[in-house]
Amino acid sequence: MKNAGRSFYIFIIILLAIIGWGGFNWLRFLTHGSGLTGSSDVVPWGIYISGLAYFIGVSAGATIIGLLIHAFGREDYAPMGIRAILLGLLCIFGATQFVLVDLGVPFRGLKVPLILHNLTSLFLISSSSYYGFMAILSAELYFTVKITRGKANERDEKIAKWLGILAVPYALWVVHAFTGSIFGVVKAREMWNTPMLPVHFVISAIASGFAMVILVAVITSKIEKRELLTSETFDHMGKLLAFFVIATLFLDFFDYFILRYSGTKEAMETWHILTRRYTILFVMNIGGLTLAFFILLFKRGRTPNGLLIAASIIQLAIIAYRIDLVSVGQLAPLYPGMGELYYYPTLPEVSVALGLVALIILLYTVLSKIIPMEEIVPEPGV
Amino acid sequence: MKKLNRREFVKLAVVAVPGSLMPQPLKVFNDAVNQILGTKQKSNKYVPKPITNAGFGMVIDLGKCIGCRRCAYACKLENSVPDTISPPYIMVFETGSATGVTGHFPSPERLGKGTTMFYTKLRKNKWYMPVQCNHCDKPPCVQVCPTGASYKDPDGLVLIDYEKCIGCRYCMTACPYNARRFNWWEPEIHHDQMNPLVPMRRHGVVEKCTFCVHRTRKGKTTRCVEACPNKARTFGNFDDLDSKVSKLVESERNFRLKEGLNTEPRIWYLTKPKEKIMRWYRPLPPPKNIRGVKL
Repeated sequence: MKNAGRSFYIFIIILLAIIGWGGFNWLRFLTHGSGLTGSSDVVPWGIYISGLAYFIGVSAGATIIGLLIHAFGREDYAPMGIRAILLGLLCIFGATQFVLVDLGVPFRGLKVPLILHNLTSLFLISSSSYYGFMAILSAELYFTVKITRGKANERDEKIAKWLGILAVPYALWVVHAFTGSIFGVVKAREMWNTPMLPVHFVISAIASGFAMVILVAVITSKIEKRELLTSETFDHMGKLLAFFVIATLFLDFFDYFILRYSGTKEAMETWHILTRRYTILFVMNIGGLTLAFFILLFKRGRTPNGLLIAASIIQLAIIAYRIDLVSVGQLAPLYPGMGELYYYPTLPEVSVALGLVALIILLYTVLSKIIPMEEIVPEPGV
Repeated sequence: MKKLNRREFVKLAVVAVPGSLMPQPLKVFNDAVNQILGTKQKSNKYVPKPITNAGFGMVIDLGKCIGCRRCAYACKLENSVPDTISPPYIMVFETGSATGVTGHFPSPERLGKGTTMFYTKLRKNKWYMPVQCNHCDKPPCVQVCPTGASYKDPDGLVLIDYEKCIGCRYCMTACPYNARRFNWWEPEIHHDQMNPLVPMRRHGVVEKCTFCVHRTRKGKTTRCVEACPNKARTFGNFDDLDSKVSKLVESERNFRLKEGLNTEPRIWYLTKPKEKIMRWYRPLPPPKNIRGVKL
């Protein structure tokens, strides 16, 4: 691997150690059962399903960059083209791994959807759509890399362009909206069962995905010690991100406003759990998004350093929202008299989740060294 | 035996320590192959074929329930519910007054371990509410199951095929009645308490009340009905209009749990006939006119 220094290998070894720790704990799940997690019969879904929701959301970043380059002709985003596709592909892959570690009988889960299937299940529809999305992104990656290497003919360029545009409606309408509907259709849970949820999911997915692309752009610029994008492009990115953040905040506000105002018994219980018992997550979600929006309003907030802070805050806020939605959403008791229900992830559970995150970062780091990321412009005078 | 020098010892330790830390690697491999290829034994051979022209259901008279929890204990024994599952298929809630539920019994997980407490008579100002799988006619759990492991049979029973369940627990989040239990641990059960008619589950699959399918499809009644000392529970065929359940359910005291969700449960409850609640009620005089039209 070229340009690989000592710190690169230390970074890889740290990631491998985290993956090893998580993998070991997953083997314990396989032999002893999932009882080592903090989930229970009353809170069946823990941070793994939150992880699924979060990483599916982040993969939206790939499609947004594709849309900006191919449909809106923003050629200044081109250095992020392949990086965003690779990021989206790895996030979708990571999300499916989050489902796999959550399953009680994981290897039987590989039979879905070909051997075992029930077509009325949104879990089946959305997980099948992930395979389709992975196929589209892989094809897009293949053709874009071919173009970058200068080996593409005109037909390849056309295919790459149309794949980039077609990926957007497929991702937003099928992948993200149906992932939101997994929760939206459950009539037993007050916090989930709202027609707004697919919309909310799509918008917050775009916000977190775009913020993740910005994070990658800024961090890559800092590591490689060069300006990957122009400052004008960073400014444009910041403005777009501010728009996505305020849209997410708007949906958040009205989601909670309607929950609180309607004031049914279950809604009040959910509201109480959200604001009194899991206050940190609630503040992280609403406060984080508000803070990030105000940072992005200023011109200094749209420089690489400002974007680094804002995008990191947005990631934390969206993670908090996903945990609020998935796990805290199940805590309103189904029968009065079941008492106060709690969910806290255990250390083995967290280690497996961290291991998966480390796996995604590792794959990205290694693949970004192997795959040519942008056209190599010969330096003048050489 | 050959003596090890230091280098060889370190080499051996490097291999052996992670190897011994690995939790049963061959079992994991064997499990994975079995899960992908499928095991030969089919759990459905334990389940008798559905009966035609029958619609099973249950009526629970809350006026007769004394909250003794014999139903829960009998159910645990009949269905080989492992000690690792808590609470068992039937939960009994205790209510403080006629207005609402105040709490359920402490330590239901102790049921299998000999510290069961049974009440023999109704305690003052308390009444009881047993809940379990309602075998809904429009079951949300069957709708959301990605593999088709949960299914609805024409005789009304909602069952789970343990050989198809992948343990995603979508059904558990979708069930409005909290009726489903997941095997978080490898099931532990004393061999005396095993029922050979019921297939044993593995860890990582979901299970729940089956209306004692191995008994009811052979013409018997469920075990919880047999165990009830006060005959609060009645099991029968709703499609047969002369059956006892069909007659009981015509009572004006009938209701079902969370009917607003349109799940159409097959368990009907009869509320407690309580004169005290009705004391304030006086019949209103018949209306003299409706919207200005004299009757």
